[in-house]
Amino acid sequence: MVVYAFYIFDRHTECIYSKKWPPPVAASTAKPRPQSTSSAATNGESAQPLTRRTNQKSDDEKLVFGVVFSLRNMCRNLGGEDNFFMNFRTNEYKLHYFETLTRLKFVMLTDTRTGNLRAALHQIWLNLYIEYVVKNPLSPAEHPGGMGVANELFERGLESFVREVLSAPS
Amino acid sequence: MASTKAARIGEDVWKTRVDKVNAELVTLTYGTIVAQLCADFDADYAEVNRQLDKMGYNIGVRLIEDFLAKSGTAACANFRETAEMIAKVGFKMFLNITPPITNWSGDNKQFSLIFDENPLADFVELPDDGRAQDELWFSNILCGVIRGALEMVQLQVEAHFVSDVLRGNDTTEMRISLIRIIDDEMPPDDE
Repeated sequence: MVVYAFYIFDRHTECIYSKKWPPPVAASTAKPRPQSTSSAATNGESAQPLTRRTNQKSDDEKLVFGVVFSLRNMCRNLGGEDNFFMNFRTNEYKLHYFETLTRLKFVMLTDTRTGNLRAALHQIWLNLYIEYVVKNPLSPAEHPGGMGVANELFERGLESFVREVLSAPS
Repeated sequence: MASTKAARIGEDVWKTRVDKVNAELVTLTYGTIVAQLCADFDADYAEVNRQLDKMGYNIGVRLIEDFLAKSGTAACANFRETAEMIAKVGFKMFLNITPPITNWSGDNKQFSLIFDENPLADFVELPDDGRAQDELWFSNILCGVIRGALEMVQLQVEAHFVSDVLRGNDTTEMRISLIRIIDDEMPPDDE
């Protein structure tokens, strides 16, 4: 499976963390090499949804939040308070969603063949976000503009989680 | 039913998922903090109460994540369930006590926790200056913790102590009132 992007939104609807992985260079390469730059040149062969790069980063975040927020509210309106959606897919990508009771929203975009990643997002919350962000005494309790979230331990943990757990050839 | 379930979760989490520290370390550390605050604010106990509440609040807004992660519970259906969770899981998990819940108001929006034992207040005697007995709420940090933690799960509450054995009262009682349920924030309108 291939992970395209990952976002965290806080209860103030602000995107406090976002990360994108450039699509793998060739389809035969099993592991995507994660890089922090989002604008890696791609050869248009491999089918990936991130080729139309006209949106700004913040636009993407707003769009992702918008779709997640509306879908979540729709589910709650139709199915009751504790009804939630877990993922949806288009022909190009699959969006996985996990929300905590504190209204933290975790979103991950992957390729369409991936199974349900709700458990994986739960793991990220439990083992990375809580350990390295919430329990970090020097990190602020609220994260305006993402302050305090993208610390080194969290980044590294996320990186290796995505590389070793999610992108492992199955 | 719901209450025994909460008790079981609390027991289970306490036994298997919590790192323990020496209780006296906690007691003495907390006592030192309060003593230092009293010194820093020249025994202005109203201000000490305020500071303790503020410290508690800052603890609470973080502690809730840890609480949710360790207890793995789903959202409470009503405020009575919330009270059960606080008393039987929350306090059990972090302080190994389960204060009984009493004095529900008619509208189910206010209740009291009775602290038969309070690890924070072991070995404590309030200063004998004639005012501390009437003004200082020694364990006021707990009010802040509850306020902060519940705010993060969309419950705005008010919490305060109404009696304390340290002041010579028969019981230590904390009153918690639900003010409102906070609505989800909406994203700002895009122009």
